[in-house]
Amino acid sequence: MRTEAIDPPGITWQRVSPKYVTVRLVQWAIGNLVTVVVLSLPLVLVLLGWWRWPPLWLAITVPAVTLVLAIWRLLLIPRQVRAIGYAERDDDLLIRGGIFFQRTMTVPYGRMQYVDIGVGPVERGLGLCTLKLHTASPGTNATIPGLPAAEGARLREQLAARGEARLAGL
Amino acid sequence: MTSNVPEAGAPTAVPVAPDGEWLRVHPASPFVRGWVALAAIGFFFGRDFFERLLQGRPLFEEDFAGRAPWLVAGGGIVLVVTVLGFILTWYFTKYQVAEGYVRVNSGFLFRQQRQARLDRVQAIDIVQPLLARIFGLAELKFEVADAGESAVKLAYLRMDDARQLRATILARAAGVVPDPSRPQGAAPEAPEYPVLSVPPSRLIGSLLLSEQSFFVVVGGIAAVILSAVTDNRSFFFYLIPAVLGLAASYWGFFNKGYNFTAAISPDGIRLRYGLLDTQAQTLPPGRVQALKVAQSPLWRMFGWYRIQVNVAGYGAVGSNGETASRTTLLPVGKLPDVMSMLALVLPDPGTPEPGRTFAAGLTGLDSDGGFVTTPHRGRFLAPLGWRRNGFATTDTALLIRSGRWWRELVVVPHQRTQSMALHQGPLARRFRVADLVLHTTAGPVSPRLTQAGLDEARGLFDAQSARARLARKRQTSEQWLATVAPAPVAEPAPVIEPVEPASPVVGPAETRPPQEGPQRG
Repeated sequence: MRTEAIDPPGITWQRVSPKYVTVRLVQWAIGNLVTVVVLSLPLVLVLLGWWRWPPLWLAITVPAVTLVLAIWRLLLIPRQVRAIGYAERDDDLLIRGGIFFQRTMTVPYGRMQYVDIGVGPVERGLGLCTLKLHTASPGTNATIPGLPAAEGARLREQLAARGEARLAGL
Repeated sequence: MTSNVPEAGAPTAVPVAPDGEWLRVHPASPFVRGWVALAAIGFFFGRDFFERLLQGRPLFEEDFAGRAPWLVAGGGIVLVVTVLGFILTWYFTKYQVAEGYVRVNSGFLFRQQRQARLDRVQAIDIVQPLLARIFGLAELKFEVADAGESAVKLAYLRMDDARQLRATILARAAGVVPDPSRPQGAAPEAPEYPVLSVPPSRLIGSLLLSEQSFFVVVGGIAAVILSAVTDNRSFFFYLIPAVLGLAASYWGFFNKGYNFTAAISPDGIRLRYGLLDTQAQTLPPGRVQALKVAQSPLWRMFGWYRIQVNVAGYGAVGSNGETASRTTLLPVGKLPDVMSMLALVLPDPGTPEPGRTFAAGLTGLDSDGGFVTTPHRGRFLAPLGWRRNGFATTDTALLIRSGRWWRELVVVPHQRTQSMALHQGPLARRFRVADLVLHTTAGPVSPRLTQAGLDEARGLFDAQSARARLARKRQTSEQWLATVAPAPVAEPAPVIEPVEPASPVVGPAETRPPQEGPQRG
């Protein structure tokens, strides 16, 4: 399905590292496989004859549906990662993400209170980092995941410098 | 607490006692704050004694006499330790207003030193709980933009001292330079002009017509029908806690909203309210991050509205009712009241016809007042609301209106926009519409423009970034009275006369210092 982007036209988006797919895969595996295994337990117990409830069809349907949803989410991951983008403009940083539920956000440099860089265990192995911007608003959920470490450090310095130059009060 | 004599030229002649003097809070304050502890000790040790006294039994049983001294001694020690703790807490709590900071030192085992920049003040409240009020004491709360606890809490000061301190802090925060020739002169309180008050009858009416009352009536009818059908009356018994809770909730609203008055002074908006516990809030100019005017269907027949605001220091409305009342700019008011409050928050509405624009935002449909609504193709997404969901921009603020039955108008000043996001789900994409979310500080208002046409939303997204950027550049100082520029002419877009939209009230515009307009902080 070709979808019309909601972001303003004429912007060259910087994409995040393709290696970020691996990070998402690990997160996916931890989250979904555990869920599927736990939900499959009743099936095993029913098949072994230890449990009389739930009925067999229910014991099969629940993990099966969860598994299908999980696989669907798995197939979406590469596209979702490709959809993440950011663009440094003169006065603000644009961040976009999502395919079905698209989101484009602008964070003015003058409004940034501080910048976080977080590195998880999987990200460290791949040399990636996650950059998070904070403004005075808790609604600003501006994260750029999957940045190469060098690019993350550069962006942080860049944002800090630009923020200082354009600093505004609340 | 309302003897505010308008003094001539008040805020420009100036503060206070010698700089850097460390002061203590009122010696009685730990007792006023800790009266519960004292009462508990008294109750614990005194109850048995009094019971015996009342029943005419001997005060001590025979076998008890040997232990009595120990008990008395124990009680005495607990009391002494508590009182000593109170005195030490009091002794080690000191505050100071100097060099653009307010500093508070507290604690004797775990020392804490805190300082807050005066020009970062978001609001100053003076709170008087009932007991403190009886003793003529008050608590002063100084809020900076950290939506958690208050930055500085001084409990308790004498009422006059609290007001004096508030005046000093506000004068310093406003950038009024201390006059070296009069170092002893106290900062006079800024003159203030009453704008509106809410009569108790309207407050009671608004409570009776609240959504809560609607559900009470529905629940009552359901209970009666149920009891008639099932012939079982015992469950009324279970309604008693619910009734008590409701009564407490109504009482809370009434106690908080009673005698609500709003006034304007050069230091900002002053709100006062409360029946038993009274509170006086001061919002310096330009501290309102976002504002919401709402009207429920029940209130429509009387034309009542409620105004809530986001202020950076107050934080999100949680479970405690305090924040809820602090973020209410107008508990219930008619259209002229709403317009005058809007005039206070947004002295320069940035449109030639403010009355018409805001009225359209409150009650209008379709494109009247310059609003841009959901395009016709998106009507299935909001069959009732699509003619109202829309936005309008003025030179100074973005207006977002929504709701056909539960009417809402959200106003966000351009220079208060933090960040923005466009959202679009699959269904919205099918109709080529998108939502625009404006991020603002924590509070009851969360501005969201729903289902605007894609092109309009995209245009607004770009235009709004540009407008916010311009507004930020224009905002030069946090100090709203400071003479930053030699003359207001030097400002990029001088807005000297604050214009009042449809102003049936207020006359302070001409009494305010002229340089207030452009650089509100």
